[in-house]
Amino acid sequence: MSVASVLRKTFFVDLVKGLAVTFKYQSPKEIYTEQYPLQRPTIAERYRGLPRLNVNPDTGESLCIACDLCALACPEHLISVKSERDPKSKKKVISTWTYDTSRCMFCGICEDSCPTDCLELSQDFEFATYSRDFIIDRERLETGLVPKVYER
Amino acid sequence: MTTSHREERTFLDSQELILNMGPQHPSTHGVLRVILKLDGEKVIGTECVIGYLHRGVEKIAENRTYAMFNPYVDRMDYVAAVSNGLGYCLAVEKLINVEVPARAQFLRVIMTELNRLASHQVWLGTHALDIGAMTPLFYTFRDREEILKIFEKYCGARLTTHAFRIGGCQYEAYDGMEQEVLTFCDFLLPKIDEYEQLLTTNRIWVERTKGVGVISGADAIAMGLTGPPLRASGVKWDLRKAQPYSAYDQFDFEIPIGYNGDTYDRYLVRIAEMRQSVRIIRQAVERLPQGPIMAKVSKMLKPPVGEVYVSIEAPKGELGYYIVSDGSLQPYRVRVRPPSFVNLQALDQMVKGQLVADVVAVIGTLDIVLGEVDR
Amino acid sequence: MLQYVTGYLSQPVTPGEAGNYIWALIYILVVIMGVSGVVLGMNWGERKALAHMQVRLGPMRVGPHGLLQPFADALKLLTKEDIIPAGADKLVFSLAPVAIIVTAWTVFLVVPFGRTHAITDMNIGVLFMLGVSSLSVLCIVMAGWASNSNYPLMGALRSSAQMVSYEVAMGLVVVSAVMMTATNTNVGTLSMIGIVEAQASQHFWFIFKFFPLGLIAFVVFAIAMVAETNRAPFDLPEAESELVAGFHTEYSGFRWSLFMLAEYSGMIAVSSIAVTLWLGGWLRPFASIHGPQITIPHYWRGGALDFAASLLPALCMFLLALFCLVGAYRMPRLRTFRIQTAGLTVFGLGLGFIGMVLLCPPVRDRVQDIFWFTAKIGVFMYLFIWYRATFPRYRFDQLMRVGWKVLLPIGLGVLILTAIVGVLL
Repeated sequence: MSVASVLRKTFFVDLVKGLAVTFKYQSPKEIYTEQYPLQRPTIAERYRGLPRLNVNPDTGESLCIACDLCALACPEHLISVKSERDPKSKKKVISTWTYDTSRCMFCGICEDSCPTDCLELSQDFEFATYSRDFIIDRERLETGLVPKVYER
Repeated sequence: MTTSHREERTFLDSQELILNMGPQHPSTHGVLRVILKLDGEKVIGTECVIGYLHRGVEKIAENRTYAMFNPYVDRMDYVAAVSNGLGYCLAVEKLINVEVPARAQFLRVIMTELNRLASHQVWLGTHALDIGAMTPLFYTFRDREEILKIFEKYCGARLTTHAFRIGGCQYEAYDGMEQEVLTFCDFLLPKIDEYEQLLTTNRIWVERTKGVGVISGADAIAMGLTGPPLRASGVKWDLRKAQPYSAYDQFDFEIPIGYNGDTYDRYLVRIAEMRQSVRIIRQAVERLPQGPIMAKVSKMLKPPVGEVYVSIEAPKGELGYYIVSDGSLQPYRVRVRPPSFVNLQALDQMVKGQLVADVVAVIGTLDIVLGEVDR
Repeated sequence: MLQYVTGYLSQPVTPGEAGNYIWALIYILVVIMGVSGVVLGMNWGERKALAHMQVRLGPMRVGPHGLLQPFADALKLLTKEDIIPAGADKLVFSLAPVAIIVTAWTVFLVVPFGRTHAITDMNIGVLFMLGVSSLSVLCIVMAGWASNSNYPLMGALRSSAQMVSYEVAMGLVVVSAVMMTATNTNVGTLSMIGIVEAQASQHFWFIFKFFPLGLIAFVVFAIAMVAETNRAPFDLPEAESELVAGFHTEYSGFRWSLFMLAEYSGMIAVSSIAVTLWLGGWLRPFASIHGPQITIPHYWRGGALDFAASLLPALCMFLLALFCLVGAYRMPRLRTFRIQTAGLTVFGLGLGFIGMVLLCPPVRDRVQDIFWFTAKIGVFMYLFIWYRATFPRYRFDQLMRVGWKVLLPIGLGVLILTAIVGVLL
């Protein structure tokens, strides 16, 4: 054993090096905690959160063309699309579009399969509820979810 | 030890004690139950009881189309989800014999190596926590946050990424991704030095891990160990070099090897692998080619009748997918070879003759994830 | 009444020495409340300091910056269901926490916070402290045995084996420090106050005496005291991720809080032994250097350095008050936080007021010793927390190896060398 290693052992050099690392991280600017309800996290644009049915901003009509591709693509078969033919334009128009949050795994396959810009997974992640209303229907999906802001 | 032919035990003989490290335990990484047979403090036998996390993933595969099954594979090794997706996509691509464009391959390499870094950081934090050092957990998880932020910006999810699709990548690299990944690499290398400063030469760490859980190279090969436990026993076998997939043969990196096959060597091998991963990521980002990211694959995929086995070097070892197709939309059988399942079988041999406190260290060093073991 | 109090406080000896029972009782109550208060503060301080070292924040919600967390924890523990395991020996089970807290607090009878600020001064002070703290080993075995469960028993036996082994090393280096109190003219003493006065009369702290023997003895004691109190890196008996969960597994609620109280009090007790023996007790650094004489009318007459040191307690209080007020200023301006901000401001102002009180001459002169003693103990408490954050845990056989094969020979060597050097010099 060399002199240097004996000296290092007697003077606890390895332990002191470890102590130096933990000491350095005490400074307040190293704190990495985000205090959640006060500080919201920044969500990426591509985040796969709750689905949203987009509407045409000019006309207010839904962009959905009732092609049923999202329902076919979903691995868990949670989407159900009901459509009817609009007698005036002879096009299919959706009547109900429901989606079951309980089993969704936010995989994004429905978003990938939608041919228009209609179905989009938004940045919502705060949709816990107090009741078992998992099935979300079209209205809520279009307006998106507004998180309840508590005063106290 | 018996003292007479009639098995008369005196009060000086110690009895075997059966101890149950139950499914809920702070340091079995998931719901693993280990039944230990102890002689005083020494372990003389172990039995692992698994299946607490069995979700029937392979059975689910028989009822989904190939593209639909892709999100399910992330949930097996949930710590390193990107590798699972890569393995599955490569297997199906080999089955339908489609070539992935170069840009997609490089993107896949970047994501997979970032994923390896994230997995090794979880391993380091939890392993150090089991041995008693609390702080490396927080440091590694903080650095892992940066990787997860990159994943979130790229594919929209942090943990169950579903990053790749059959035939390439769905998502194009986002604006500024290359710069962010390079900044992250510069950020991480000093942090790895810090982890080493806290642990590698620390005399308590060395005493707890040297000579603990030794397995020789021959035994490791006989047991079917793969990944860092195999390489730490002296066997130079890494699937990225031995059977290169997805453009790994275009990168220049080393495979770290250990020689003693103990916990300390496995620790050193994984730390060195983290540095090599950073090296690979830098090369991939610099040489990222332009071009399409998705090959032409039909939406309703019907592969030809046949079977394929493809394995990749996941962070925990060799992850293999064996897919049998009967020509229809849904696979006939998908069998996953999880690295943690096979590595866990070496627990018995590694722990014989060691003390109880070492069992926890050895489980940590094998780096098992119960999601993979049970599927 | 006030005359009685001030008349008493100007006495030069401790109440125990003076045979004054009433004042001794009052001092006992003050010390017990003080130790309990420090334990509460340690609880908060440990969680906050540990959290900061781990790049996170620690408790922030319960009071402003988590200051009310220990009170919330105490309240929770008091209201928990009192469970006695089936088949447990009820008498011993109930007796163990009481016994351990009695031994933990009895040790403080001789701890000198200052020349007159101790409950009493026995002429076998150090021996008394070591002996009584050894009794806690018995209480741990009682707790483990009475739990009628395999794991606590194993944990208790391990814990007691660990404590006993490190007490041997502790005892040897304590003897070497006691030997240093003897000089050519003075006979050595075991009394705690006597040891500090020996350091004062010899004009340097024993950690520097016969360099490096004093330092080695101090380091050995520092390691042994961490093992004695079952703290990291020697906390295998109470670690959660090991199988054996420790002797206090079956205890819940108030009984468990007594164990926790005893553990932290033990930490303070062994730190006070270390401070008294090697670090000069209540003496300030460079106590023998007084500086040039200065006189401030009605306020100070004496050395300049003494004057500067005498302002330190008040300055510390003002600094703490400043932290509180700055923290209150930086709290989020939301309705939920109004009470917390108000509380923190009041707390800060209260600390400032105490600081002002500490500037008044009668209080100022008496508080010096207590301040320095407490500051040194505070450093040791911080070291305990720092070690817990940084080091992994020793395995039990390695722990015993360190105690018997490393610390004991070194302690023995230091003892012999100190004896030889002491005779020669």
